Amino acid sequence: MSISVKLDRVLLDRGMSLTELSERVGVTIANLSILKTGKAKAIRFSTLEAICKELNCQPGDILFFEDDGRPIRHDD
Amino acid sequence: MIRAIGKGSLASILAVGLHIVRVIVWIAFAGLSAALIAIPLIPPFAEWVAHVDGASIEGDIGVDAGDFVEVLRHFISFGVALYVVERLLELLKTLRFGSPFVKENARRFRNVGVALLIGELSKIAIWILAAIFDADVDADLDFMAFVSIAAVLVLAEVFREGARMKEEQDLTV
Repeated sequence: MSISVKLDRVLLDRGMSLTELSERVGVTIANLSILKTGKAKAIRFSTLEAICKELNCQPGDILFFEDDGRPIRHDD
Repeated sequence: MIRAIGKGSLASILAVGLHIVRVIVWIAFAGLSAALIAIPLIPPFAEWVAHVDGASIEGDIGVDAGDFVEVLRHFISFGVALYVVERLLELLKTLRFGSPFVKENARRFRNVGVALLIGELSKIAIWILAAIFDADVDADLDFMAFVSIAAVLVLAEVFREGARMKEEQDLTV
């Protein structure tokens, strides 16, 4: 069971680079890279809020809960 | 106020002191190692000299098993001291050049605790050897040493938790 981050997919949809997002939300590229590659252990609400604001999305568009690689949906 | 890290800090002063202690302990350890090898060779050497024409040994060079056990006790003590000093220097290095809260330091503290425990428990082996060779060796178990060992092992766990928290903090975006 794990939380996976789909930041790269949202960035692709919005046509935004990681560098641009970094400048807009005020988080270093190194930290965003940690988040994007799924190495992050935790995310602050303030960071999540800034990312969602800039990407015009919901937290659920970025974060997914997977049970052994199988995504869990509301209707499961 | 003394700084925690950098030049003139308590860590660097401690490191200088420990480097001096390391040299002294190394010399003592080398001497004890040589003595440990030499002691069993002295009686046969003395016997060989006694058979050489015109050769004689003046003075008392008699050594017994008690001397060997006594040297062995110090050899173990200095060996443990050397190991502990080396690990403490590694610990101070991480403190001076970054964060001390790394998993390696938790392991170092645990190893120090285990080494001290082995050093203390080795006294039991020394008692047995002393009893076998009917030697009079002063190697009492020290209650405070066990308390100190417990403190070091607790510190190791604190460092392990500290390292985990530091990693979590570093990986929080």
